[in-house]
Amino acid sequence: MKIGLEIHVQLPTRSKLFCGCSTAGETPNSSVCPTCLGLPGSRPFLNRQALEMGVLIAKFLNCKIADRVWFARKTYFYPDLPKNFQITQYDSPLGTDGHFTVGGRSIGIWRVHIEEDPGRIRRVGRSGEEVALVDYDRSGIPLVEIVTAPDMSSPAEARDFLTDLIIELRRLIGVTGEEQTMRVDANISVGEERVEIKNITGMRNVEKGLKSEVNRQTKMLAAGKRIVRETRHFDEERGVTMPGREKEFEEDYGYIGEPDLGTYRIGPLAASMAIPETPLVRAARLSKEWRMGDQAARQIVLTDWALADMFEILAAKVGGEAAMSWTMGPLSSSWKDLRGRLLDLKGGIVDIVVSVASGEMTDSEGRMRISALSSGKEAEAPGENEGDLDAIIVQLVDEHPEVVKDYQGNERAANFLIGQVMKAMRGKYSSKVVAERMKKELEKRV
Amino acid sequence: MTTFPTADQLRSIDERHQVFCERLEDPLALDQGTFHFSAKDNLCSRGFQARAGSRILKGYRPPFDATPIRKLRESGGLLLGKTNMDEFGFGTFSTNSGFGVPRNPFDPERSCGGSSGGAAAAASLIPQHVALGVSTGGSISCPAAFCGVIGLTPTYGRVSRWGLIDYGNSLDKVGLLTRTARDLERYLPVISGPDPKDPTSLTQPVLDMRGEVETVAVPDEALVGLSPEVAASFREALKELERNGVKVREVKMPSLRYAIPAYYILATSEASTNLARYCGMRFGAMNQEFDQGFNDFFAQTRSEDFGPEAKRRILLGTFSRMVGFRNRYYMKALQVRQLIIREYRRVFDSCDAVLTPTMPFVAPRFDEIARMRPLEMYQADFLTVPPNLAGMPHLSLPCGYSHGMPVGMQAVTPQWTEGSLVGLARFWEEEFHYRFPEVMV
Amino acid sequence: MDRETVSKVAKVARLKLTDAEIEQYAADLEDIIEAFAVLDEAPVVEEYDLGPIKVEDILREDVVCRDSDPAELREVMGTKDDWVRGPRLS
Repeated sequence: MKIGLEIHVQLPTRSKLFCGCSTAGETPNSSVCPTCLGLPGSRPFLNRQALEMGVLIAKFLNCKIADRVWFARKTYFYPDLPKNFQITQYDSPLGTDGHFTVGGRSIGIWRVHIEEDPGRIRRVGRSGEEVALVDYDRSGIPLVEIVTAPDMSSPAEARDFLTDLIIELRRLIGVTGEEQTMRVDANISVGEERVEIKNITGMRNVEKGLKSEVNRQTKMLAAGKRIVRETRHFDEERGVTMPGREKEFEEDYGYIGEPDLGTYRIGPLAASMAIPETPLVRAARLSKEWRMGDQAARQIVLTDWALADMFEILAAKVGGEAAMSWTMGPLSSSWKDLRGRLLDLKGGIVDIVVSVASGEMTDSEGRMRISALSSGKEAEAPGENEGDLDAIIVQLVDEHPEVVKDYQGNERAANFLIGQVMKAMRGKYSSKVVAERMKKELEKRV
Repeated sequence: MTTFPTADQLRSIDERHQVFCERLEDPLALDQGTFHFSAKDNLCSRGFQARAGSRILKGYRPPFDATPIRKLRESGGLLLGKTNMDEFGFGTFSTNSGFGVPRNPFDPERSCGGSSGGAAAAASLIPQHVALGVSTGGSISCPAAFCGVIGLTPTYGRVSRWGLIDYGNSLDKVGLLTRTARDLERYLPVISGPDPKDPTSLTQPVLDMRGEVETVAVPDEALVGLSPEVAASFREALKELERNGVKVREVKMPSLRYAIPAYYILATSEASTNLARYCGMRFGAMNQEFDQGFNDFFAQTRSEDFGPEAKRRILLGTFSRMVGFRNRYYMKALQVRQLIIREYRRVFDSCDAVLTPTMPFVAPRFDEIARMRPLEMYQADFLTVPPNLAGMPHLSLPCGYSHGMPVGMQAVTPQWTEGSLVGLARFWEEEFHYRFPEVMV
Repeated sequence: MDRETVSKVAKVARLKLTDAEIEQYAADLEDIIEAFAVLDEAPVVEEYDLGPIKVEDILREDVVCRDSDPAELREVMGTKDDWVRGPRLS
């Protein structure tokens, strides 16, 4: 079985691909101008950010980057297409011949290019006779199209590909949203002949659509029937693919260059770009650096980027195994609360983990301290209402004269009392504060 | 079928006519540094329909001004009106308009030339008038020659095309038709310059209005197929130039023979995509029969409202870029454009300008035009097409009169050297006496 | 350029032509295409551009700007409840 995908992802720019209209239109036809409506006399003007995002994606996918590119007009007639041609790239994509690794398998990337989205159609009227109502707010929204080689061998693998791709793109260029962000055309051949399923929204539907098509083709082949080369649509509600019905004949797009835009030297641009580390690349690195399982590394990175940062800080101090257990244990379970105040808390967390690792603090105390940090009850500096802390210290020191004695020879003897205070105060104060106060009290009595 | 205007329409036409005349005759306005101008109907402006000579744009009122119009208005210009043209610029004689045919001011039985025919007629008839024209393959030079005025087509990219209804985007240029070199000097700097609404205008060097023409090249290829009267006038003009110290050289430009096919393929390929948007939705002719399938819906409006020449060029252009033909026609034409640009550059190594007649004949009569085959009409542009294909600035000047009809000559200079052309216009004006038709009010 | 080719091209271009038009355009285009065969003799040029002047790396910054009024544009397009009306989709 061979599966290839053509993936369209919206690039998260503020303005459209060829005009200054906002990409965030609300009511129908509220974010439109002469250019994205194709009014006679209007012209396109390319958005730098969109081009750079496209080039970055091509480079990230290990493509050969063209030195110089231009745009093309793809002419076909449809009510959602204001000019009845789409400005896209035809004979000069941004990148070609790349690859992307999923589950240890390298999937070929044939090409990466950018293009404008058409408008959005609302169908109204009786089934089969629907007329179009069109909202052109989407017209001119920048898309990147990624075309893979037919290298995937199951619907599940296709879904994994899309899942991993979107994880990476989210970090790489800030793609937002989940399912709706992605529109996919999928090619699939179970036997010799290839069938295309057009315009599937979201990765779950890609897997469902492909599965149903595998079933259909397998049954036909088993029955000795021939698969016809055709274009089909995935009916989300019924979960099956249906033959395409809209195009009455094969369009001849008659590609020509778009002379209003000129050309772009993206070779030097791509060379100057650094690719930031993406989640799955980072997970792979962590798993290698700290000899941890792929799944664990992936989990740390995917839970939150900053959690992975925390892991790396801790691992450098206490080693991968301990850092992993802290990160995926106490830290990740209260990560929601910690994350917002990370700048203030980071030092405290590191201290706790280091203290536990060095034996200065017990594991259970450490956990308690982390939970105190997350609940916000912790106070770094003693304040006016800290009478309770001083009171309990005085009380404990009174109760344990032997510790005062030991303390004279070995300051570590205080740890026992500090632990008692921490327990009694249920982590209300940091061990640092408690230790300082305890030291002060003990010094008085020496 | 002809429809007759109602009494109300007549009254409103009369009122508009009166306003037009008053504006023309307002000397005070001109004293204050204001001036009047007209714009070819493919330039968009608020306050006027923009139909580009096509019924498919009937009733379309653009919600914005074309940049050259905006700039003239901001400099004190009063837009008097829009001038008639061949539908979308598709023609050499202005006989392909959806809204009547403009007539030559020197002889109403003859063509104004095209496609900026109305602009040339306005410039010829109205003293101190500046007409904005547009050239894709010679649509300023040709009517300027036929109507006995000066027509300047700037370098491609010199004047913003924002608000220009596209014919062929890689060829279209907004320019000026006037009676005097002084008007070129005044208004070319106004309409020129980079415009953040047209990327192709943003790479231009600063407009330099200095420059002159001391050596001209006359290609052999341009002297074949001329009518005797045009050949004679042009020879006289060359002698006049030589008498005034201009050096004339004969050159060979063999690539010019490819210019007509390359031009028509590129222009119609681009045009056939530009015209795809006219389909009964959104603007212009609106199809209300929504219960048709979209293919029929689109085809209905397009078949009813495009004129015969528009259909012919859509067919030619669509054919030239279709699978199986694209490489032989569209891609080849792109290459030929580079070939011709190189050939011009080679000539400009030793000459300041290439000089030819503008059109091979004087303005033809309408009955003669009616007998011409489309290919013959296309071939009539063989002198104006090369500089347009190459994006080189060019100028048509009146250089003689034959039986009362003006003859034009065309000078082409390197890209971005409009100043040399204006210098030539200034110089020629001193040596040659222009004639203008009597205005009948 | 036969009638069949003209019909096919017309369909791609969404033009409905009468038999007389097809006849006429087939003859016109045959005439034109035949003359244009001279292009086959032109030398091959490796480097070409989309236009006559060099237009390279002209980009706008990703800034939202609005210099036209969407309400006016909707009026030009004759919208109904802000939607642009179109034909049947099949």
